[in-house]
Amino acid sequence: MSGGYRQQPGGPGQTTRKDGKRVAGKQAFPPPGSGGSKPNMATRDLDFIPESVGGKESQPAGSHIHDRVRTGTSVGKETPLVDSNAKVTGQAWYGDDVRLPNEIIGKILRSPHHYARIKSIDTTRVEALPGVLAVATGADAPQRFGVLPVTKDEHAMAVDKVRHVGDLVACVAAIDEATALEALNLFDVEWEVLEPVFDPKKGLEDADEPIHWRGKYHLAKTNVQKRVFQEFGDRSLVENPHAESHGKWKMAGVHHGFTEPHAVVAHWDPNGRLQLYTPQQVPHYTHRALSTVLDIPMHQINVIRTFVGGGFGGKSDPFPHEMCAAILARKSGRPVRITFDREEVYWINRGRHPSHIEVKMTADEDARISGFDIDALIDGGGFASFGHVTSYYNGVLATAPYELGSFHYTGARVWTNKPASGAMRGHGAVNTRCAVEVGLDEMAETMQVDPIDLRLANLLPPHSRTISGFRITSNGMREALEKVRKGSNWDEKFRKMPLGKGIGIGCGFFISGSGLPIHWDPNRFPHATVHMQVDMDGGVTVHTGAADIGQGSTTAIAQVVSEVLALPLEMIHVRSHESDTSPVDLGSYSSRVTFMNANAAIRAALEIREQLLNAAWEILGYHPNNLIMNDRRIYYKHDPAIGVSYLKALHKAQEDKGALIASGAYRSPPMGGVHKGAAAGLAPAYSFSAYVAEVDVDVETGMIQCTKVWAAHDCGKALNPLAVKGQIIGSCHMGLGQVLSEKMVYGRTGHLQNANLLDYKIPSVHEMPHVEPIIVESCDPEGPFGAKEAGEGPLLPILPAVVNAVYDAIGIRLRTLPLTPDVVFKGIEKTLKASEFDDPTDLPSPTLEFSSMQPKLVARAQEHRIRDKARQRTEDTSPYVNGVLFGFDPTLPLEDQVEGWRTATEPDPEQLAELGLAGRAWLKKEQREMEGEN
Amino acid sequence: MLMPPFTLHNPTTVEEACSLAGMLLEKGEAFDWVAGGTDLLPNYKWHLNPKPHVISLARIEGVDTLSLHEIGCMARLADLTLENGIHPLIVEAAGKVASSLIRRNATLGGNICLDTRCFWYNQGEDWRRSIDWCHKADCGTGADCRVIPNQNTLCVATYQGDIAPTLMVLDAEVHLIGPNGLRTLALVDFYQLDGKKKNVLEEGEFLLKVTLSEESAGRTGSYQKLRVRESWDFPEAGVAASWHPGDVTSLQIATTALESIPRCHPEEVAVVLEAGWDGMASVKALAAGIRKSVQPVNNTSLPPRYRKSMVRVLTKRAVENILE
Repeated sequence: MSGGYRQQPGGPGQTTRKDGKRVAGKQAFPPPGSGGSKPNMATRDLDFIPESVGGKESQPAGSHIHDRVRTGTSVGKETPLVDSNAKVTGQAWYGDDVRLPNEIIGKILRSPHHYARIKSIDTTRVEALPGVLAVATGADAPQRFGVLPVTKDEHAMAVDKVRHVGDLVACVAAIDEATALEALNLFDVEWEVLEPVFDPKKGLEDADEPIHWRGKYHLAKTNVQKRVFQEFGDRSLVENPHAESHGKWKMAGVHHGFTEPHAVVAHWDPNGRLQLYTPQQVPHYTHRALSTVLDIPMHQINVIRTFVGGGFGGKSDPFPHEMCAAILARKSGRPVRITFDREEVYWINRGRHPSHIEVKMTADEDARISGFDIDALIDGGGFASFGHVTSYYNGVLATAPYELGSFHYTGARVWTNKPASGAMRGHGAVNTRCAVEVGLDEMAETMQVDPIDLRLANLLPPHSRTISGFRITSNGMREALEKVRKGSNWDEKFRKMPLGKGIGIGCGFFISGSGLPIHWDPNRFPHATVHMQVDMDGGVTVHTGAADIGQGSTTAIAQVVSEVLALPLEMIHVRSHESDTSPVDLGSYSSRVTFMNANAAIRAALEIREQLLNAAWEILGYHPNNLIMNDRRIYYKHDPAIGVSYLKALHKAQEDKGALIASGAYRSPPMGGVHKGAAAGLAPAYSFSAYVAEVDVDVETGMIQCTKVWAAHDCGKALNPLAVKGQIIGSCHMGLGQVLSEKMVYGRTGHLQNANLLDYKIPSVHEMPHVEPIIVESCDPEGPFGAKEAGEGPLLPILPAVVNAVYDAIGIRLRTLPLTPDVVFKGIEKTLKASEFDDPTDLPSPTLEFSSMQPKLVARAQEHRIRDKARQRTEDTSPYVNGVLFGFDPTLPLEDQVEGWRTATEPDPEQLAELGLAGRAWLKKEQREMEGEN
Repeated sequence: MLMPPFTLHNPTTVEEACSLAGMLLEKGEAFDWVAGGTDLLPNYKWHLNPKPHVISLARIEGVDTLSLHEIGCMARLADLTLENGIHPLIVEAAGKVASSLIRRNATLGGNICLDTRCFWYNQGEDWRRSIDWCHKADCGTGADCRVIPNQNTLCVATYQGDIAPTLMVLDAEVHLIGPNGLRTLALVDFYQLDGKKKNVLEEGEFLLKVTLSEESAGRTGSYQKLRVRESWDFPEAGVAASWHPGDVTSLQIATTALESIPRCHPEEVAVVLEAGWDGMASVKALAAGIRKSVQPVNNTSLPPRYRKSMVRVLTKRAVENILE
């Protein structure tokens, strides 16, 4: 091969003219041996190589296990997403862009009733309509499916009962949309209308006909789908509190509001395999559900994930319309396309649960948080979806970032006759987080201390354990709080601004990848697998099932591979669309992709790297330890002139075996407690965030304008700061929607009144404040190059920050979300009535005079600051568990030290009488325990 | 959503449009006029009372005049938001309509004749089937009104146009044309208190232009709009006020988005003026009076009680500059 490689057809010659334009027919092929489009190797970018390996990138949180494979190529650099060209030029193919030859259009007949039994469906008239090619009803697909194996309660189309207006009854495929629509009017359905339930509180009571029936595990005859009880710590600490806060919240359901409506195309290929095109966050679950519902093996199905026009959790369930398309295509023998109207998008929902949340919290005389007592009743709508997990998350994700004396949580999710709630960005954590952070603000107010100092003096340190047993590794909470305090000029503004102007703080804590893969045992199978292949051209093809839903997962994976192999991004090709070619992956939810898939990708890339270095060793005679990989070249550390091009090393490595292939996997370390539900909320790492928001409140109208947000998020390490900032700003927008204007409105008849984007009020650009994204890098020891999630956690703090800022502006605590102007106005009216004033503009603005507690908190926070720094850099590796702040020894089991230290997952009989709203679900017995009573 | 099929007619003169309308009427064929289409076509897509024929005014020459005293029905709202010699009060109101994208297409005529809105009505077909239809689009069932149950005689859908109240307080006149000729009336007499009938336009008639008197050019004032978002949203309440500088007795106030029609409030103003003008106290009395006179119902995004309360604030803000 010494002759090198042929250049462009036609032999060598000038490829550019004098004016710089390209000569026709002469492609600028790269010169032999280099690979990539630039002729020469770039110099090593020391600014992006960590200090620990001789670069200039500062590492305040210490070194990282991946430092030695950093090449300064991609990681940490602001990188436009690799699929952005396709998107901005309109060439990205979303669900409804798929057009197959001979395709026909499917439409779904939806229930006009909230709750009804289908007595009969007659399709004779539908089938007789010219142009109709297939009709299907629930009888065609009796198998149940659901996103969680424990709660499979959905059918492709209703079998026996419909559970909300818009529930699927039947479907039809016809030669065009008009015919399909016409056909919908020809179904003759005989109904028996049943008594619907809309109020989740009613769902706790026994019903004549519960919406689902779980057999012996059903709770009496209620509509409770899941109940949770968790109690940790020493409950005696909450007696005689020094300060307390008690708030009852009512939070409306919100929807993801993604741009792309659901769309699916199903096609049975000539070999009888199903090819299903769908914009899915989790193609693998759809794959499994299709196999169950269609009763064919999984290998006979190829799920093709199209580009996803926004998901945010709303495209992570396997959906009945996906089954319908497959059934219609099978019956008609033609490809079938179903695209939703916006109204249908709202009916399939899976948005955030409407919630009743009650939070009681107490602090002792040292301003330590002696107890959180949380009760969450969440409205699940007609189906389980992710609700089993949501029921836990509403409690357990409040066990950090603060050190708690005790924790008590009761949660219940009930079925109601509404579109099903599910997972949405910040899954399960958002509403409780808001309630908790506002409670802390209120406690700070009573104790006359600064709420930021109260938080800083009660934080769990890095490398610690929460009261519920979660393993905290990196923790940038303190830095985030300090940065927003400084950036916002907090000390000059808080409680010092005139009426109508306010500033507020809120924090967040979120999982970076659920520790439990839903469908298998994490000890047996890895969370994520990535395959990699490098062929003679030097391009690296990465096969992953990670679903890019706009968050940039494809870019993140390309970046880490590019970083390890020191190749430009253009040489990395990520293939993630087809289940035929990608390894099984759990998809994009629980903020797992960057952490798990990038880790798997790094592992695969390391294997390739080793093969390349060994080949270079053979060529150059220097041991890999003395070789440096840099932009498409491998050279001797002490004399860069001695080296070999990437392609040459690659071809050496390929001798005898052809293309290099490698596979990498990620599995999480064993962790967490053993109590029931201990796995819920468990993650290999957690993200932390702190936001300060400034608002203007018009006291006459109740209108809130959020004007500025300082948003600090600890993402471990920003692999792509551009994407992290985008996620922070996007999260602010989405969270602001929930706190200010977005809600799914159910009217007096139980109908969803605003199933469209005009009446479902997502903030416009005018409502968007200036967001100052602040990236905090705590360098997670297990994250890829130290990275953690940045897609969901940043949403959490904006809600409480705004609610607290509203209090700072007008001195009124509001606990109804969203804070639409009528809600704020009602609060103002009420306050006015109780005051001596007639005009809201005369109301006093809250002020703050520090108590003697304040300096003590500042001093404690300072001590903790030093403690945390030492722990972050692992200079101090002593164990730390929640409880040390209360004087306990972290090396001994707390149960042995403290009388009354509890870990309970069921209430004691004597507790039953005091349980909150959702806790009342514990008054009911399961059917199997009710023999003879029912 | 699939647009229901219809035949589109494109007359190029007013006369042709009128004769076309006359012809369709004679044949007993139902039709709608379309100008910018930003109101009608979304409603069509939702199958809200679609008609088999639609006559477009877009190709008619000379109906998009723009001047201080005359504005044609096809004048684009985007052009009304610019300093085109239009009355500044109209510029203010036009700038608050929907979004810039919609204002590029929407027209003055369309905005004045805006269909009334109601969350029981502005929904897809499946949705409306699930409530068994409503009085405004009953699909032949004679369905009840869903806002005020047990009646199917009056539609209480809300008129949510922004520009009509400002035109009212500027004493605008509307010119209506149809197969039976041209007629002119004051805008305050144009609307009819029924969300279904909406206005006095007879079948085959359309609104040709709006004229403002010489006298109104001297008026100044303000339009206050209540909405959740600064873009896209229809008004949840709106108050327009105008006066001749230095002459409180010339004060006129009109409200919108509170009832099925926009409305001028001469009686409420007269009561306050008769009591003798007393600066801010009078403004507040006026605000309270207007608030009392409106009867919003629960069919828009914000609750009626709140919208009613806000009328006081909006009125105060619309009028308070009169004190300068």
